Amino acid sequence: MISAPATFHGQLSLGATRRSDGRTVLSKQAFRAPFHLSKPYWDFDTSTLLVQVVNPTAGILSGDTLTSSVQVGPEAALLLTTPSASRVFCMREGRASARQTFKVDAGGWLEVLPEPLVPHRASVFDQTTVLDVASGGGAFYADLLYPGRIAHGDAWAWTQLLLRLEVRVDGRLVLRERFEQSPQSLLKLAAHAGFGESTTFGNAVFIPAVAESAPTWRAALHGLQGDGVWIGVSQLHGAVGWSIKFVAADGVKLRRTLAAVRNVLAAAAPHLRCDARKL
Amino acid sequence: MIASTAPTSVADAAWLCALLQAGDSYYPTGAYAHSYGLEGMVQLGVVEDRDTLRAFMIDSALPALRQVELPLAAHAWRALEPASPDWEAVAELCTLTHALKSAREPRFAAENIGRQRAELLSGLHGHPLAKAYLERSSAGAWAHSTAVSAALEGRVHGAPLVAVLSGLTYANLSGQIAASMKLIRIGQNAAQTLLTELLSKAPEVVAAATEVPVDEIGWFNPWLDIACARHETSDFRLFIS
Repeated sequence: MISAPATFHGQLSLGATRRSDGRTVLSKQAFRAPFHLSKPYWDFDTSTLLVQVVNPTAGILSGDTLTSSVQVGPEAALLLTTPSASRVFCMREGRASARQTFKVDAGGWLEVLPEPLVPHRASVFDQTTVLDVASGGGAFYADLLYPGRIAHGDAWAWTQLLLRLEVRVDGRLVLRERFEQSPQSLLKLAAHAGFGESTTFGNAVFIPAVAESAPTWRAALHGLQGDGVWIGVSQLHGAVGWSIKFVAADGVKLRRTLAAVRNVLAAAAPHLRCDARKL
Repeated sequence: MIASTAPTSVADAAWLCALLQAGDSYYPTGAYAHSYGLEGMVQLGVVEDRDTLRAFMIDSALPALRQVELPLAAHAWRALEPASPDWEAVAELCTLTHALKSAREPRFAAENIGRQRAELLSGLHGHPLAKAYLERSSAGAWAHSTAVSAALEGRVHGAPLVAVLSGLTYANLSGQIAASMKLIRIGQNAAQTLLTELLSKAPEVVAAATEVPVDEIGWFNPWLDIACARHETSDFRLFIS
């Protein structure tokens, strides 16, 4: 008898609060496989708590449902990252889904910096992300997408990929994005812009604690354009934050661009100086 | 041969003429000042001639209409049922119009053209639905939306949904093609040839758009978003967007 493959209904719930000594701690943490947490690391230099969310399984498989909820309290600062790419594996049947909610209270700071999402051939995956920031809170959220296992020639072959992002500031909807293109449709758009099969995508949202209408860093970010990288920065609805989109000719350029973006924005949001790879 | 499938009564002439007026380049909505991202794509070298313009229109402009502007208008038309308008839904669609546009310039275009169309409609026709829309919009500080205003026009004139969406399709496509004539080397005949090809796809685009649920509205073209974002700070430009 062949048993059915194991599926996960993973849950993660985190709460970050500021202690009386000024440090941010995880005042609430609950998780169920495949979620696992690294030991939190307090980064003195940037006063930021660094937490890695680890998926000890090979990746996301058919039937997996992942739900995560993260809340950052007043004056707390949290950087949430992952140690490796999120692979969505081939699915002969079924699908996988993830829903992640991030809330930031006034005065809090949250950075969400996962490694790239990599949808394999015949994968079916949908992800819904909700970022809800109170006025006076700050956040940087970045999603990276590789179109598959580029080096193996197994790319642009997902069956269905749906990525939804909703951003609210003070409860007000300021951004809703929906990625649901077929590989063929996206490849056509890439070809129009002179990009090839190793194209990778970056989508970031920056909500500064204090809104600026004409920040000096914008020109520096636009200056990253060139050498196989396109980047555009524009103010969100309600002038409460910024959309930062970048497309790169390959994964190396994409990572380099994201690092440069964080470096430039650190002038406006010093928590971005926290090195996500310290763990 | 194309069979005629449009039996119309004399009464239909009223809404038909009104929609033609609203879609005319002579109608002062300010739409002529926008390229809807095309100028940015020209500046970045994506659109540079007739072939690349055609590819952009077919692979980007038509899907964006099908998945964003037309579904927004369709839902707004349904919400603006004259006997009992669902104003809460209309307000949400106005917000959604702007939330769906990550770059500022497309929102600016939607805001300005949408407001102008709604105000013209109210001023020219004095219809209670148009007046109520403007009053609620002002009181609630709603964002304006070209799609919602087009739906409002349709309701005020008694136009069916398909006609409203067809009018919006024509205005959007012809606006971009008209802009292209100022941005790249393309003649009037070539422009009309391309517009004819695009409009031939209108039936399938409109039909698909009417089936898109509100929570599935959206379209992703990062290169266009980037072009729009960079166009904002361009040293030289002909168009507002």
